[in-house]
Amino acid sequence: MPKAVRYHANSVVYFKGDMNDRVYILKSGKVSLNYNDIETGQEIHDIINTGEFFGVKSALGRYPREETAVVLSDAAMVIFSVPEFEQLVLKNTRIIMKMLKVFSNQLRRMHKQVRNLISEGKDGLEPEEGLFRIGQYYLNCQKYHQALYAFRRYITYYPSGKYASEATTHIEEAEKALQRGGAPASMAGMGSGIATGGEKAPQSEVQREELSETAKKYYNAVSLFSQDNFQAALEEFRKIVQANNSEEYVAKSQFEIGRCYLGLVQYDKCIEHYTQMIKHYPRHPDLRDALLYVGNCHEKMGNTGKANGFYKKVLSMSSENEVIYRKAKRALRELEGSK
Amino acid sequence: MNVDLSMFERFAVTFQPGDIIFCEYEPGDNFYLIQSGRVQIVKILGDIEKNIDILQPGEIFGEMAILEEAPRSATAVSLDKVKALEFNRENFEVLMKGNPQIALKLLKLFTKRIYDQKRRFMILTLTNIEARVADVFLMLAEDQPTEDPDEDQRSFSASVEDIAHWAGMSYAECKKVLNHFAGQRRVEIYEDRIIVKNINDFQRFVSSQRKKEKVE
Repeated sequence: MPKAVRYHANSVVYFKGDMNDRVYILKSGKVSLNYNDIETGQEIHDIINTGEFFGVKSALGRYPREETAVVLSDAAMVIFSVPEFEQLVLKNTRIIMKMLKVFSNQLRRMHKQVRNLISEGKDGLEPEEGLFRIGQYYLNCQKYHQALYAFRRYITYYPSGKYASEATTHIEEAEKALQRGGAPASMAGMGSGIATGGEKAPQSEVQREELSETAKKYYNAVSLFSQDNFQAALEEFRKIVQANNSEEYVAKSQFEIGRCYLGLVQYDKCIEHYTQMIKHYPRHPDLRDALLYVGNCHEKMGNTGKANGFYKKVLSMSSENEVIYRKAKRALRELEGSK
Repeated sequence: MNVDLSMFERFAVTFQPGDIIFCEYEPGDNFYLIQSGRVQIVKILGDIEKNIDILQPGEIFGEMAILEEAPRSATAVSLDKVKALEFNRENFEVLMKGNPQIALKLLKLFTKRIYDQKRRFMILTLTNIEARVADVFLMLAEDQPTEDPDEDQRSFSASVEDIAHWAGMSYAECKKVLNHFAGQRRVEIYEDRIIVKNINDFQRFVSSQRKKEKVE
């Protein structure tokens, strides 16, 4: 049970360095929290207003008190144990939200202070270079799946960055390696260099097995496609979608299904398929390629106006040094030329 | 965690084993609550991938994104098939109001982070670089309670890069200090760990240095 207590002026509720797990709320009187500013060393006195909590951080975080709580004038307060405090705030989210705001402000300030001191040292890389290097790391150890992620992210954030063309080349490299079935995506993350985390291996082994089955099927279908065997590829991709074992491969297969229709010269089906796909995956990684193919289909069907619209849409979503931009640009030029 | 999260189903995302959830240096705008599966936090240092932590269901990660869109400080990779709730600054309040348990969890996480940052700041305020390196070991020791408090020798699974990072100095600078300590037989440096022969000796060294610097 929370306990109501009274303190006389000039008494101390707790000392800096004390370990205790109590949280206080001031009912009346005056309490000051005294501590030295960690940056300047200056002595600070924070006055607690009635109705305010104090001692929360060190109690919840289970670390020593960072300030001395001195009673300035006779005070009444209620003491909570940590579980009692938790019960109270769980019933009153507003308190938590308020504290979160205070804590997050403090945290942000701390971060800034630390960063100011660090900036004199040379800590880490620029984010742009850092992201690119991570891609390179994964590429070097043949974790193509992860390399693709990092390079694609790089291209998204730094479309005209200094490594943009290199990243694009690496993306193609990694894609090719994956299509060759080089290192299956599922195995790629689990490779060398990680010492810990093996204790639950059997379980994740099973899941990896499952995934690599889907991955195998996917790459098999991709290879059928690359041999222009569109009908067989289409059927394989459909099976992956139906089995629905892996969201990622289902999304990828959906994209490939559209390309199969294109290969099979079934333009209306292709358009319909991609329209559905875009509705379902408005943020599909291959969205712009899909739009480009829809443009292709319209062009082949003689709807130059619509084709033009789709190509321009792709252009508007891309930046000049991206492959997709050049593709759309070329398609537009050819469309104009054929008129 | 006994929390009904069914109402947050629309925020659920799934990752396959080996998927990168986010990458170090990427701008961060989401944070995650693991529902099932494990997530590994790694940092890539040169040509090695270093394990920082392995997180279990119920844990929160990427939470710094709530505060600022600073680049991610590490990479999060799914170890198993992972299901997680993905939040951002926009839906954050909805989550917190609808689920005080998570809010409380976050509150506790923040108290820990504030403490860690303060502790880190204390290291960086030391001007004597040897004291700074020694204080990094004290901080690490505080984080790994020992079974035998009378034992002076402590072993840390940290690399020179790690120590340099915490001490806010370059690798070369930090290596020099560590080699100096090694020459005095105060530390032993191995490939996978660093042993401090007498942690209390470091404790005395750091506190006397602190006092000295305060006077100056």
